[in-house]
Amino acid sequence: MKWYDRITRIDRRIIYLLLTSLVILPFFIKVTIPQNIMPQTKRLFDFIEAIPPNDKAVMISFDYTPQTQPECHPMAKSLLRQCFSRGIPVIGLSFDPQAPGLAVDALTSIVNEFDSLATSKEDSLVYGVDYVYLGWKSGRIAAQLDMGEDIGGVFPRDYFGALIDSFPLMNKVKNYKNVAIVVILASADYPLDWIRYPQTRYGVNVAAGLTAVMAPKYYPFVQTGQVSGLMSGMKGAAEYEKLVLDHGYARALGNAETGMNSQSMIHILIMIFIILGNVGYFFSRRQKGADK
Amino acid sequence: MSSDPWIWVGALLTLMIFSFLYKDNPFYKFGEHLFVGVANGYYIVFYWHNSLRPNLFEPLGAGEFIYLVPLLLGLMYFTRFIPKVSWLVRIPIGFMIGWGAGLSIPALFQAEVLRQLEGTVVAPSSFTNPMSGIWSLIILVGVICTLIYFFFSKEHKGILGHTSRIGIIFIMIGFGASFGYTVMARVSLLIGRIQFLLGPWLGLID
Repeated sequence: MKWYDRITRIDRRIIYLLLTSLVILPFFIKVTIPQNIMPQTKRLFDFIEAIPPNDKAVMISFDYTPQTQPECHPMAKSLLRQCFSRGIPVIGLSFDPQAPGLAVDALTSIVNEFDSLATSKEDSLVYGVDYVYLGWKSGRIAAQLDMGEDIGGVFPRDYFGALIDSFPLMNKVKNYKNVAIVVILASADYPLDWIRYPQTRYGVNVAAGLTAVMAPKYYPFVQTGQVSGLMSGMKGAAEYEKLVLDHGYARALGNAETGMNSQSMIHILIMIFIILGNVGYFFSRRQKGADK
Repeated sequence: MSSDPWIWVGALLTLMIFSFLYKDNPFYKFGEHLFVGVANGYYIVFYWHNSLRPNLFEPLGAGEFIYLVPLLLGLMYFTRFIPKVSWLVRIPIGFMIGWGAGLSIPALFQAEVLRQLEGTVVAPSSFTNPMSGIWSLIILVGVICTLIYFFFSKEHKGILGHTSRIGIIFIMIGFGASFGYTVMARVSLLIGRIQFLLGPWLGLID
């Protein structure tokens, strides 16, 4: 077998082994590959920075699933850190049936992190005052539209079964007029519904944190201003982690930043394999032409 | 190493699924079938507790008989299995199509046609910054050439052929970006699982 035939027929198990090794390596050997912050990530960060404290709420729609947790969970945590550090109230909700467990996990871990650092009771985050999780609702388009009139009508009770009228935060936030931005963290096309319906009818600001595979579809909406900011996959999450750290809202970088080192190495490996495959194909085709 | 049995279940099932990368085997099959079963069970229980019971059966139990209308519409879907009355399925389908079209067409036209068209228009304000002006022109050229590529009523010859070839370049750049992002997304899933195996299970990383 010629060398160019050999490089086009590498056993896929060798490729998997190399791939796994390069994913694991950065966890043990300190490799820092610099990450540029993309303008759409910065736009979302700046938008939230511009919201005055204790004024309008940030609504986060947790719509990702366990398998996309490595991409979207760090986004949720960074976003919550920024909002809580700046005293911006957060309203969480979900339209994906797999998301409520992850939403509660993100909220609980960040609230515990803040409460562990609190020096007084006033510094602690209070459920119903600083944040609320409304839970899951079926019929998302109708629910998204109805929330423009009355959030309490769509979610009379929160995820834990408490009446939302009993929360001071929900007495302040009645509909989208009291919401600065809706950030959808999603692994499916949920942001599109927010753009099509509540934004078109009520003009609510929409931003998104998406899995990388979905991101290209949303760039045209960033360009037209329909999406006020975008976090794209693990890279977007790592960028947001960095922004949050640089502004002193976090003590350390999170999982996405570590993951991006593995990600960059894998991309180099894949590029090498694409080049090898093409070189092999080119030479074998030339050889076949010469043989004829 | 973790002492939590659920972490062990997660880790072993992850390894069972990964074993497919070597070759198909009974461990992989077990993991796959268990996942399908658990996922179905989760959805059935979830929808019962969060949708059917609170939104339909509880109001019906409280005497709100208007909820019989959605119940009947829902049950009509099952008439597909009875050939004699299978025509009844057209009623809920018609209702859904009517509702969906009425709601979607204006919103979709506004959000995805008019606003996107607006984003393509090159206005004097696009040139406040030279770079944004150049990008606006590139977007305009890209949109027109790509649309011409999909114009099949005339043979792609002459000026139509040249512009459609430029359109192909833009389409290829789009495919390349999508492919790059897809690779990133799939590798992220692997990274997530490796983080789980090395962290919560083996305790080798924080």
